[in-house]
Amino acid sequence: MPLNINWQQILLHLLNLVILVVGLYLLLYKPVKKFMKKREDAYKEREESTQAALDNAKAKEEEYSSRLAGVEEEVSQKREEAAKELAEVRTQKLQQVAQEADDMLSSARERAQKEHDRIINGVSDDIKEIVGEAAEKVVMTSSVNDAYEQFLNAAESGAKSAHAGKKKTVTSMSKADKKVGARKKK
Amino acid sequence: MKTRTKKIIGWSVVALIVAALIVGIILTDGLYTNSEDISEVMQDAVLHEENTVDIFGFQANPGLVSAYLVTIILLVAAALIRIFAIPKFTRVPGKFQLAVESIVGWFDKLAKTNSPHRNSFLGAYIFGAGCYIFTGTLFELIGVAVVSSAGNSVVLPAPLSDINGAIAMGFLSYFVILSGGIVSNGMRGVGRTLKDFSLPISMSFRLFGALLSGLLVSELVYYYIALSFVLPVVVGVLFTLLHALIQTYVLVMLTSLFYGEVSEPYEKKAKVKKKKAVKQ
Repeated sequence: MPLNINWQQILLHLLNLVILVVGLYLLLYKPVKKFMKKREDAYKEREESTQAALDNAKAKEEEYSSRLAGVEEEVSQKREEAAKELAEVRTQKLQQVAQEADDMLSSARERAQKEHDRIINGVSDDIKEIVGEAAEKVVMTSSVNDAYEQFLNAAESGAKSAHAGKKKTVTSMSKADKKVGARKKK
Repeated sequence: MKTRTKKIIGWSVVALIVAALIVGIILTDGLYTNSEDISEVMQDAVLHEENTVDIFGFQANPGLVSAYLVTIILLVAAALIRIFAIPKFTRVPGKFQLAVESIVGWFDKLAKTNSPHRNSFLGAYIFGAGCYIFTGTLFELIGVAVVSSAGNSVVLPAPLSDINGAIAMGFLSYFVILSGGIVSNGMRGVGRTLKDFSLPISMSFRLFGALLSGLLVSELVYYYIALSFVLPVVVGVLFTLLHALIQTYVLVMLTSLFYGEVSEPYEKKAKVKKKKAVKQ
C-alpha cells in the first residue's frame, strides 16, 4: 500500500479509539456530567423554592397591605359610628336629665305649694280657733270691755308664747293658750 | 562607579565571545555528525518502513505503540480520578475539580451548541477524541524510547503522526457523524452524510499532515546538533502545546458541526403554488 497504509493497523487503531472513548465515557465523562447535573438541579430547585417563597411573601404583603387599608377604613367607619352613637346617647341622656330635672322641679314646686297651702291653712285654722275662743269668752263674760280686754290679753299672751318659743314654759299659759300652742306645733 | 560598570561589561563580552568560539569548535567536529542521512530520517518518520516495533511477533509502527500507551495512560488517569477524586467532589469546587469540570463542561457545551437536537453521544465522542488528540500530541514530548526491529533506538512519536492512526481517527469521526444522521433522519441522514464523502479523507489527512509537519520539523531540528540549543524549547514544547490545542479544537469542532448538520430534523418546505397568470 502507498504511504505504508496498513489496514490491520488501521483496525487496531480503531479498536484502540473505541476502547478509549468507551472507557473515558464510563470513567470520567458520565460521572462528572451526572455530578454537574445533580448540582445544577439542586441549585435550580433552591432557586425555585426561593422564588416560590418570594412570591408567597409578595402575595402576603399585598394581602396584608390590602387588609390594612380595609382595617383603616373599618376603623374610621367604626369611629364614625361610635361618634354617632355617642352623640345619640349624649342627647338621650341630656333629654333624660332635663326630663328628670323638670320632674324634680315640678315635684318640688308641687310639694312646696302643698306645704305652703298646708301652712297657710294651718295658720288660718289657728286664727279662726283663737278668734272663736275669744268670741266665746267675750260672750261668756259680762261686759264688752272685759271681753275686749280679755281678748287682747289672750291675744297678747298667745303672741308672747309664740315668740318666746322654747325658752318659756307652757305651764304659765291658760288652757286656751295651751290649745293654740299645741295646734301650732301640729 | 562608571569605570567599574564599564569594566564588568567589557569582561562579560570577552567571556561570551570565548564561550561561543568553544561551542563552535565542538559543533564543527566530525564526532557529532549523524550517521543517518537526513532524507532517510525524514522518510522513515513519514513512512515507518524501516523502524517498526515487534510486539509479540506483530510488526507495528511506533505510532501504534504510542496510541496504546496513550490509551493506557488516559484510562488509568480516568480510573484514578473516578475512584479517588469524583466521590470527593463538592458543590463548591476546588482547583482540581474545577479543572475536570471545565474540561467535561467545555466538550458538553460544544456538543450542545453545534448539535442542539442530538448531542449526548456526540459529547461523549468528542470528549474521548479530544483527550486522545491532545494527550497523544503531547506524548511526543516525553520521548519514550523503544528498540526497533532493526535494532535502532526509536523515540515514540505522536500516535496521529502515523498515517494509519490519522486515517482511523478520520474514519471513526465520519462514522460517528453518519450514525447521527441515521438515528436522526434515517436514509435522509445517510444521504446528507454521504454528500460530504470527502470528509473522512480531509479529516484524516488534515490531522496526519498537521502532526507530521510537527514531527518533521522536530526531526530536522534534532538532526543538526547546532540547532539543539535553545531552539528545541520553542519548537519542542511551545509548538507541540499549540499544536495539541489547535488539532484537538479543529477535529472536535468539525465533527460536532457536521454531526449537528446531519442530525438536524428534516422540515418539509411549504410548497409554493405557482400562480398561473389568468388571461383575461
